[in-house]
Amino acid sequence: MISITDMVAKAHASGDYNGLIELIPYAQVIGVNCERFGEEMVFRLPRNPDNLGNPTLPAIHGGVIAAFMELSAAFQVLLQTTTPELPKIIDFSVDYMRAGLDRDTFAMCQLERRGRRVTNCSVVAWQEKRTEPIATARAHFLVKPNES
Amino acid sequence: MRNPEIEARCQRFLDALAHIRKLGLRVIQADERRVTLVLPVQEQLACGKTKTYLLGGALTTLIDTASAVSTLCVLPEFEIAPTLDLRIDHMKSPAHSQPLYIQAECYRTTRSVMFTRATVYQTSVDEPVAFGIGTFMRLGTEVVDPKMRAVVEGEIERYEDDYPAKDQPPQDKREANA
Repeated sequence: MISITDMVAKAHASGDYNGLIELIPYAQVIGVNCERFGEEMVFRLPRNPDNLGNPTLPAIHGGVIAAFMELSAAFQVLLQTTTPELPKIIDFSVDYMRAGLDRDTFAMCQLERRGRRVTNCSVVAWQEKRTEPIATARAHFLVKPNES
Repeated sequence: MRNPEIEARCQRFLDALAHIRKLGLRVIQADERRVTLVLPVQEQLACGKTKTYLLGGALTTLIDTASAVSTLCVLPEFEIAPTLDLRIDHMKSPAHSQPLYIQAECYRTTRSVMFTRATVYQTSVDEPVAFGIGTFMRLGTEVVDPKMRAVVEGEIERYEDDYPAKDQPPQDKREANA
């Protein structure tokens, strides 16, 4: 079986990150995808009627937005470190600023601190303008150091 | 003491959320303060390739939903209460071969804010998989959502014509979406 480190290297080389997203089933359920722009990764949650919560607005289910941000952070940690395993979530905190409407949502992540075992990551999610976030979040992940 | 009226109300709220219908989340118990939901075992969340990350992200959705539902146990009438924030601690990886239970409680309600806590567990509530605390903003009577209110209070059968009838068992919906 191909190792996670090899999968990450392959994804970076080809620019196709779908294989990595398939590692986390819920990321596929909600439809997360990601694209690389130079050094930056932008995560996208395409508009999907199955992700809706409040049908009146209609708005994306708040939990789905939070999960999208958590998964984006997990992928960011995976792509930016040489960990041989998927990062394991320790804690996650999200602040909601605006309703997530029924359209595409984007997220960008920033590793604020990479310790030997724990990595801190912050996430911003937006729809229309990056300067008008619908939510911000931060997460800690347990990251296994690469022995080799 | 279980309260069948509150249980029915919580279930009607869950059934109005498209994403929750897809996951098949159900109310198993509710009273004036807390609610317990169950997420049945399902293949769409099972991961064969790795053992370390069985339900990544999904727990966040469950805790957010259960916390929102717990506010319905407390409020005399449906109000729109958007989530202000949510914080989750993950204590251990859940086994995907067992259903997940989420017990959520709205432990304090003020005029503007509601405070919730939720525990995710499998075998016993004393062995939590994850724990979450949340705050919800009360919009009160200033902002009304008559349609959603009518659905949650059981005054109309279904949200819209293209919505499945609420008496359709969640089991079938889950299979259709799997």
